[in-house]
Amino acid sequence: MNTVVAQLQRQFQDYLVSLYQQFTELRKLQDEGTPDFVAEVVSLFFDDCSKLINTMSRSLERPENVDFKQVDSGVHQLKGSSSSVGARRVKNVCISFKECCDVQNREGCLRCLQQVDYEYKMLKTKLQDLFNLEQRILQAGGMIPQVNIS
Amino acid sequence: MTVEQEFEAVDQFPVGMRVLAVDDDQTCLRILETLLHRCQYHVTTTDSAQTALELLRENKNKFDLVISDVDMPDMDGFKLLELVGLEMDLPVIMLSAHSDPKYVMKGVKHGACDYLLKPVRIEELKNIWQHVVRKSKFKKMKSIVTNVESTDNTDQNGVKANRKRKDQFEEVEEDDEERGNENDDPTAQKKPRVLWTRELHNKFLAAVDHLGVEKAQPKKILELMNVDKLTRENVASHLQKFRSALKKITNEANQQANMAAIDSHFMQMSSLKGLGGFHHQQRQIPLGSGQFHGGAAATMRHFPLGRLNSFGGVFPHVSSSLPRNHSDGGYILQGMPIPPLDDLHINNNNNNKAFPSFSSQQTSLMVAPNNQLVLQQPSYASLNPGGFSPHLEINKRLEDWSNTLLSTNIPQSDVHSKPDALEWNHFCNSDAAQAGFSGANNLGPMTDAQLLRSSSPSEGLFVGQQKLENGSMPSDAGSLDDIVNSMMPKEQSQADFFEGDWGLDGIIAHSELAYENLFLCFLCNLVNMRKSVLFRHNQLLLPLVLSFFFLLSCKKKPVSPLCNLCFKHDGILFVLPMNLLAVKEWSNL
Repeated sequence: MNTVVAQLQRQFQDYLVSLYQQFTELRKLQDEGTPDFVAEVVSLFFDDCSKLINTMSRSLERPENVDFKQVDSGVHQLKGSSSSVGARRVKNVCISFKECCDVQNREGCLRCLQQVDYEYKMLKTKLQDLFNLEQRILQAGGMIPQVNIS
Repeated sequence: MTVEQEFEAVDQFPVGMRVLAVDDDQTCLRILETLLHRCQYHVTTTDSAQTALELLRENKNKFDLVISDVDMPDMDGFKLLELVGLEMDLPVIMLSAHSDPKYVMKGVKHGACDYLLKPVRIEELKNIWQHVVRKSKFKKMKSIVTNVESTDNTDQNGVKANRKRKDQFEEVEEDDEERGNENDDPTAQKKPRVLWTRELHNKFLAAVDHLGVEKAQPKKILELMNVDKLTRENVASHLQKFRSALKKITNEANQQANMAAIDSHFMQMSSLKGLGGFHHQQRQIPLGSGQFHGGAAATMRHFPLGRLNSFGGVFPHVSSSLPRNHSDGGYILQGMPIPPLDDLHINNNNNNKAFPSFSSQQTSLMVAPNNQLVLQQPSYASLNPGGFSPHLEINKRLEDWSNTLLSTNIPQSDVHSKPDALEWNHFCNSDAAQAGFSGANNLGPMTDAQLLRSSSPSEGLFVGQQKLENGSMPSDAGSLDDIVNSMMPKEQSQADFFEGDWGLDGIIAHSELAYENLFLCFLCNLVNMRKSVLFRHNQLLLPLVLSFFFLLSCKKKPVSPLCNLCFKHDGILFVLPMNLLAVKEWSNL
């Protein structure tokens, strides 16, 4: 039993380490008072993300009249929320996305958009796994390890 | 709150500080809320700047601090910042993912107390209470110091006052006032120019708050402010500025909100923009949607109003005889005589109306939207008020034809017309006009009588609208002979005409673009042209010259057009009735 828990805990730690510092901060905010805080925030983030991606892809759809302003504001918002949530990779893509937007490079924008899409889906899966792990640890009777990433 | 109460609150500070958080991003808002809770603040959140303003206006004392995102759809964060500063004078902290110093500067200029970058860290939030304290300190102090002094002294005193204030936070109000008064006296002799310092403005705001922005009156404000050496006039002018600034900001904010709100609506509308009046760009409007106005509008500009007026004036009675499908008229007539011109004239100024769909009879030749066919009845064509019945039939014909045409897909050109004023002088005389065209039956010169008898939209068409510079003849006169020779006058009976033939004898179809030539051929066939000859000629000047001379010739004798020259330029199909005789004459020159 303990080994199982230990194993799970190790896995958990590894996962967390791979995520951003901000995310652990976020997790710190979660306490007895707000048990589902992280889950809530993260699902809000994913919702926003998919909405923004849709809007942006629609804007970028037709090559003749791309509304770069709209795309830019979408990227900006995505950048803000991803950095708040701790989705580091998404945020990094957003930075290059913004650059493409500034020079009105449609191809570049499309590529970045695809990347954002990919990253956020990856993150989603990862977080899903993380939550599952958490559940399993709890069910196995163990404690969620607090990982401090410097 | 009295001073004592405020001091008490300060002791507990920053616990329980009431913060209003505004951010359209749900994720960030949620995180911010939790972070603020962690700092033991009392938090209210909203995702709309408008709601935030309402909450603030509802009760100015409900909040101590506002944190606002910079990019929000319904209102710019900086606008909100300004408004809050003006109306409620609360400390505002800006929040943004933009780390660009430009934005930070903008924030500072608009009066933000601080500028935080996303992602927000809890450490930063733990310190925001300092802004509230700082502001309330200034509010508490009554500084009249700079009230009536010159700028120099003001600065001096201001500096002094500030220093003192910083040192003595617990200072009682009376002390400040005394100090202020002391400083006032020696400078009383100086020119009384009021400098509205922050402190003075705060007092002003407090008074206005108390009275209500709308109801505030300078006299009462003055009383409430209780400031020495401040006159009612000073207060009055300050109040005026305050109100106009408030109005300006609110209007801009509303505008922005409105624009954001109906942004999507605009997107849909943009495709219909062609419906607007004149606009000098040809729009690619789908044929089937009946939105021809784009083309019409563009061509409309070619018509000098003066000319149209005369047309309108000449044939007023005609107006009623023809069915008109568009109430806003302004349509370019197609083979229809005057009434459309009337409409044109009357409605020339109202081109903003949407043009109705084109099932109307009048659209006949207004075919390809982009091709912008314009067939217009020259005024002289139908002086005869008597023969109007044919028109009705023609209408029908035209309608049929237009419907057929409407269903064709016409390739689009994106040429831009150059609007040159038309030289209408040529056919200005009604005499000349009469000389003009005869009715359908043309076979050679017709007598005046014949002319008068028939009034048909015969070859109705005119419209060349380009100014001939000096009317110089093109050097390739040779081709004119070719043209002339190729024109073959055809006999056409009246019957033919009523069956739908427009009385166009023959057409020389010209276009700069190959496919359009084909179209022209098609067009000719549709109207049962007996003969159409296609030629490609890249110089527009030739047809124009031809028309020019033709027109000139009209003045001399009544002649019937024996052929019509069609050419297309800049997407507009011009069909010019050609007077063979005139042409022949000219060629003899």
